[in-house]
Amino acid sequence: MQNAKDSFYMALRTRLTTINPERTILLRGAVRPGILVEEAEAPFSQFPSDVFVLRWLALGVDMDLPLTMAAAQCEVIYQSCGTQSFGGLDRGRALSEMDEELMALLQPFFTPKLNYTATPPAALLTNVFWDEPSFAPIAVQRDQLSRTASVVVYSYQEQGE
Amino acid sequence: MTSTWFSAPAPVARRVRAYFAPVNRAAQSPVLFDPSQQAGFNLGAPPAPWISLGWIQDFVRNPASKSAPLMTGIPAAPLEQVRETLAAQVKLQFLSWTKLTMALAAGSQHMNVLSPASGASAAADGAQAAPAVTPQSGSTSTTILLAAADAAKFSPGSMVAVDVDYTGQIGYVGSPVSGAYVRQALSDIDYVRRVTFNVALVLQVNSTGLTLAEPLPGGVPATGAKAQVVTAFVDREGGSFYQEWSALFVMEGSQGERIFFHYPRLQTTSGAEEAVIPLNAKNQNGQSRVLLKGQFLALPVTDPLDGERIVCYRSFLPAANALV
Repeated sequence: MQNAKDSFYMALRTRLTTINPERTILLRGAVRPGILVEEAEAPFSQFPSDVFVLRWLALGVDMDLPLTMAAAQCEVIYQSCGTQSFGGLDRGRALSEMDEELMALLQPFFTPKLNYTATPPAALLTNVFWDEPSFAPIAVQRDQLSRTASVVVYSYQEQGE
Repeated sequence: MTSTWFSAPAPVARRVRAYFAPVNRAAQSPVLFDPSQQAGFNLGAPPAPWISLGWIQDFVRNPASKSAPLMTGIPAAPLEQVRETLAAQVKLQFLSWTKLTMALAAGSQHMNVLSPASGASAAADGAQAAPAVTPQSGSTSTTILLAAADAAKFSPGSMVAVDVDYTGQIGYVGSPVSGAYVRQALSDIDYVRRVTFNVALVLQVNSTGLTLAEPLPGGVPATGAKAQVVTAFVDREGGSFYQEWSALFVMEGSQGERIFFHYPRLQTTSGAEEAVIPLNAKNQNGQSRVLLKGQFLALPVTDPLDGERIVCYRSFLPAANALV
């Protein structure tokens, strides 16, 4: 399953660099595209603003197929306080922009599965695929708006994985 | 160890895409889809003359062919099977309203409502039309050159129909798609432009003519063709004409595999019908989406490969590296 999770993240990260190259984050001394995997970073006391955070949750498997199919639930969490230049009054617009970016990041709804533990990453035989996201209502905490979108990511367990 | 093949599970597909192409009614020749040459086509840009109608939903194939056993012996037992009837039906819902989807979902002629002449009497198909204008030489499928006074009759955002005058033709009329079958001579000079599928949206108008937002399905305006403003579309319940189209339905699986359903000849089997679906399932009386319902009967063609009569081809393009 890890290859599928890595491939999903890398697909979204690569797409983000095209869709909005200005959305970046300074993390551990490096400027990176503004998307990260919660479980692959040091624990956060508070999620960074204006960045997409992927959180892996439930997992289901169907083992009655020629290849076992895994369905992993991924939450995409993002939040914004708006910009200083507008005194935060644009926080709604900023979150809407992230809503639209996320919809764009998820299309097309598949990506080739790669093994990122190899250098260079090794292409596997199947695709990772997913459905449309379901968006939760906006949560308001003082001057911060946040939202969670949920996506079920499907993949097949290939021989040797 | 990395494998170089895999046993593919059943395809997982999100939706179905529909493509239609006009059957040449006069020559009785459908458009064929060749999986050996066209299976990998860009789903967003199908090979000519296929026209993409986008996603569809509630796609149902119903094979209606019937077989019967040849019984023999005492007690009787099946010796062989014979195919008694050959038929298939297709049902679907279009996710958009366009000239073509309306026509496909209508049971008979689908007509353009032409801009009326001043003071014309009311008519259910649209009143007597304002006179057509003649495209000038040099027009293309996306640019219609007109005299300045003729161009002034159009406005950006209007629609235009381009086809020849009706001058007493009998038989199939309309280009590039047969829009109707005329059994006896009519008196309306604009009848062909009323039924033609050669329509497009006008993007810009200037003193030299029209720039279209989409190419005319018939390409460069034919010699003798004229242009008229279209204001709406109309179809009727009843009539004797049946639309006939070649159809191709494509399911693209998550692993890149593709399933094609190719019906060389489809005719509409029911009158115009809509499906009304609430946008919010919890509010049945709220905003609802109105979808065109299409129901079709597949007609047979003779496959030149072996002379068999068939109504549908199903092709499968497996995923790369999948065991077959």
